[in-house]
Amino acid sequence: MIRVELSKLLRSRRTWTTIALIDALPTLVGVLLAVTDLGPRPGEGPAFLSAVLTDGTLFPLAALAIVLPLFLPIAVSVTAGEAIAGEAAAGTLRYVLVRPVGRLRLLVAKLVAAMAFVVLTVLVVAATAYVVGVALLGDQSVQVVGSTSVSGTSLSTPELVGRTFLALGYAMLCMLGVAAIALFLSTVASSSLGAALGTMSIFVGSSLLLTLDASEAIRDYLPTRYWLAFVDLFRDPILWRDLQAGVILQVAYVAVFFAAAWANFATKDVTD
Amino acid sequence: MTSLRRWCVVAVVAAVVVAAPLLPRLVPASASDVTAAELLSRVQASGDQAYSGYVETDGAVQLAVGDDFSDLAELFGDRLRLRVWWQDEDAWRVNRLLLSGEEDLVHDGERTTSYDYERARAVTSRDPDIRLPRTSDLVPPSMGRITTDGADADEVSRLPARRIAGVSAPGLRLEPASGQTTIDHVDLWADEETGLALRVEVYAGSSAPVLTTVFEEFSAAGPEPDQVADTWSGQVERDFDDTVDLADAANQYAPFRVPRRVAGLERRTAGTGAVGVYGTGVTRLIAVPLREGDADDLRESLLGSPAAVATDTGTLLAVGPVSVFLTSEGFSYVLAGTVTDETLLRAAEDIVAGVRLRGRFE
Amino acid sequence: MSRDTAIRTQGLTKYFGRFEAVSDLSLDVREGDVYGFLGANGSGKTTTVRMLLGLVLATSGEIEVLGRPMPRSGREVLPHVGSMIEGPAAYAHLSGRANLTLFDAMAPRSRRTGRKDRVEETLDRVGLGGVDERPVKNYSLGMRQRLGLAAALLRKPRLLVLDEPTNGLDPQGIRDIRALLLELNADGTTVFVSSHLLAEIEQLCTRVGVLDRGRMVVQEELAVLRAPTGRILLGTPDPDAAIAQLDRLGRSVEQHDGRRLAVRAADAAELNAELVRAGIGVDELSVERRSLEDVVLAATSAGNDTFARPPRAVQDAS
Repeated sequence: MIRVELSKLLRSRRTWTTIALIDALPTLVGVLLAVTDLGPRPGEGPAFLSAVLTDGTLFPLAALAIVLPLFLPIAVSVTAGEAIAGEAAAGTLRYVLVRPVGRLRLLVAKLVAAMAFVVLTVLVVAATAYVVGVALLGDQSVQVVGSTSVSGTSLSTPELVGRTFLALGYAMLCMLGVAAIALFLSTVASSSLGAALGTMSIFVGSSLLLTLDASEAIRDYLPTRYWLAFVDLFRDPILWRDLQAGVILQVAYVAVFFAAAWANFATKDVTD
Repeated sequence: MTSLRRWCVVAVVAAVVVAAPLLPRLVPASASDVTAAELLSRVQASGDQAYSGYVETDGAVQLAVGDDFSDLAELFGDRLRLRVWWQDEDAWRVNRLLLSGEEDLVHDGERTTSYDYERARAVTSRDPDIRLPRTSDLVPPSMGRITTDGADADEVSRLPARRIAGVSAPGLRLEPASGQTTIDHVDLWADEETGLALRVEVYAGSSAPVLTTVFEEFSAAGPEPDQVADTWSGQVERDFDDTVDLADAANQYAPFRVPRRVAGLERRTAGTGAVGVYGTGVTRLIAVPLREGDADDLRESLLGSPAAVATDTGTLLAVGPVSVFLTSEGFSYVLAGTVTDETLLRAAEDIVAGVRLRGRFE
Repeated sequence: MSRDTAIRTQGLTKYFGRFEAVSDLSLDVREGDVYGFLGANGSGKTTTVRMLLGLVLATSGEIEVLGRPMPRSGREVLPHVGSMIEGPAAYAHLSGRANLTLFDAMAPRSRRTGRKDRVEETLDRVGLGGVDERPVKNYSLGMRQRLGLAAALLRKPRLLVLDEPTNGLDPQGIRDIRALLLELNADGTTVFVSSHLLAEIEQLCTRVGVLDRGRMVVQEELAVLRAPTGRILLGTPDPDAAIAQLDRLGRSVEQHDGRRLAVRAADAAELNAELVRAGIGVDELSVERRSLEDVVLAATSAGNDTFARPPRAVQDAS
């Protein structure tokens, strides 16, 4: 079933259009930066963006910081929100279930497909950004060995590559949390739009609550709490605290919401 | 499995993941029979104890003091996340974490280097006689030493132990005897063995602390040598500055000499500079001369706050425990401290009356 | 009956909230049957079909499909069941071929070898063998219906469960499907067809169940339902003479409509011989059977989608 879902994902023109649209923003930012040479003022704008003018190899990270807060989670909400509700609306859900595809197996396959979409998107964005960064913004590591960490120490190229991949992996895990929420809502809502909007409102609401002092008590439970913690990978020494908490939080979200999706869907009457 | 049972499973999973992070808090702290006086002296003498850890501070003092002092306003009015590596007083690093960058202070013997990621710049300066508060003053052990500085055994009492960052820490309450301070009391919990304060709460009247600083992670093991060393890469611009901050600059270059004693408080430094720090512990104030332009800016900022009061002799603003007074007669001096308005006004009178020109003007 | 049961339900009941969609239903379909499941729209046919396939869970009652309990044994049973429920559905952005390939791959323990052949063979079977690679969203309703049937036939099922299989088909299409279903049945496939079209069931089925407002009102072999009524229908150019002659013979003419007569008699040949002997021409002659329509109308109440206001006599009287 997983293979079937992946094949459907890769053959859908919408998948590629979405990825292209997500990819377009950081690429545009990169081109504009290169053309105008106007970086954001230090301390403003997305993480790493003020540093990319001097070091294009950091652009994949800046691109990640650009798409992670809004674009990527929206795309994931839409994709995963469609999982069950979309099949139900298209009428294919009943035919999938009588094939028979076990309901739990279907949920797993849907989550894996959503994850595959995230991995694909993140890799495409990172690869494009690397090409754009090196081609347009210059590759500092050619002249000086290594890049600079957020703490100001040198990072060798292997270190930078390793940490970049860790950061990409972390961002993917955060999106898996989004996908699990969307999957659950997809088993509840009768339309995939409802599931996607529900998921979006959860992470927009979470981002809003994070800015309030009054939400102190529930802060550490909010799904977007540690999304930007991937920056901590580029400190020296790496600050694992938030990353660990972020990984645990996302795993907990995936566990709870996947379990909820299963609880709701396993004996749900399929009447569409 | 029925639908109800499955939802029960979900509820159990949810309850477990919500409760799991709270469990460590249930581990009780072990009681300690260390006396208040003994704990106080250990806290005061903890300067050369090595440690490292992760600190969160939460300040509730909203100082409206303009751009020149915005760093200061952040220290006491914001939440800060700090990483600390402390070998001893001479070798440490305090790393302030920002959402997408960081600011470092690295201390090495007599020199302090401050590094700012966004500017890719590291500025080194020698240690000054007088300076404004900085992040390294906010880590709990430093805060513990600053607030208990000069405190007597009869001002302190024991509080029950608390578990902080996994360490069972006996508590100490300091209730300053002096009537000149705005600080009501300071509660702190310290590692019994080393005397390193692990959590410090400063109270000024209300039931919520005006400043809290606490270790969320703590290790009594010292840092690796390279963690407190100067390791910036070649891409970081290096610079040397002969003044650390505005107070240091004024102290060195303003052509004044402040009196030895104001409002009954002794000057803390022996030198003959233009800046004076007076008092001990939580009864403390600083007097800094300002250039006319800077003074006007500050006056404008102060008056922008509805709590500001214009008196015959200057402008007074009291925000929580901190009072700021800017003189308007004679030389422009700004006085600030955790002292009562009355003390601050008296100190201002004493400064205005007692300040002398120095150097070639003498 | 020696044949195994293909579908058996006992006391099958389904509530949606407080609405009772299916009530104490006992289905009995045997292997080799072409079973017609008749009922007006909204009578609970589709809900029943969904319960048989494990899509909707019964509130109470038991279901056995191909001798195994459902939905518990869905994993073993469903691979042998092909189905079409409330119209066909497919992934609209993919071609019919790609859809069948996906559906084939979804099934548990589906092998990759021979998949292409299976798909082509099934497409041929439903008359879509020559279809191009256009996406399903550009298919006509009839093509979609055929594709849906193909998906049901993909794994050579022992039992076909079809809900309104001829919806949207033109007369030629309907005939094709009917022929296909009969051919499959001849090869041993049990066919369960639900429909609201009497004619369709009458032409296709060997056994009929009639559902009315969630209750089974009739379940019988079609041949039994359509038993002779004991009357002979005859047409004659000279009805008056015929009636007079029949009177004389002591036979009762029960109905007289122009030149058509309904006569109570057991043997049509004998009746014909009597009339011809008397010089009365007979140009139509047939044994009267009950029509399925009569059976259904007799057994069911008003349509299930009419909601007449209940009489208020009780309140008015007081």
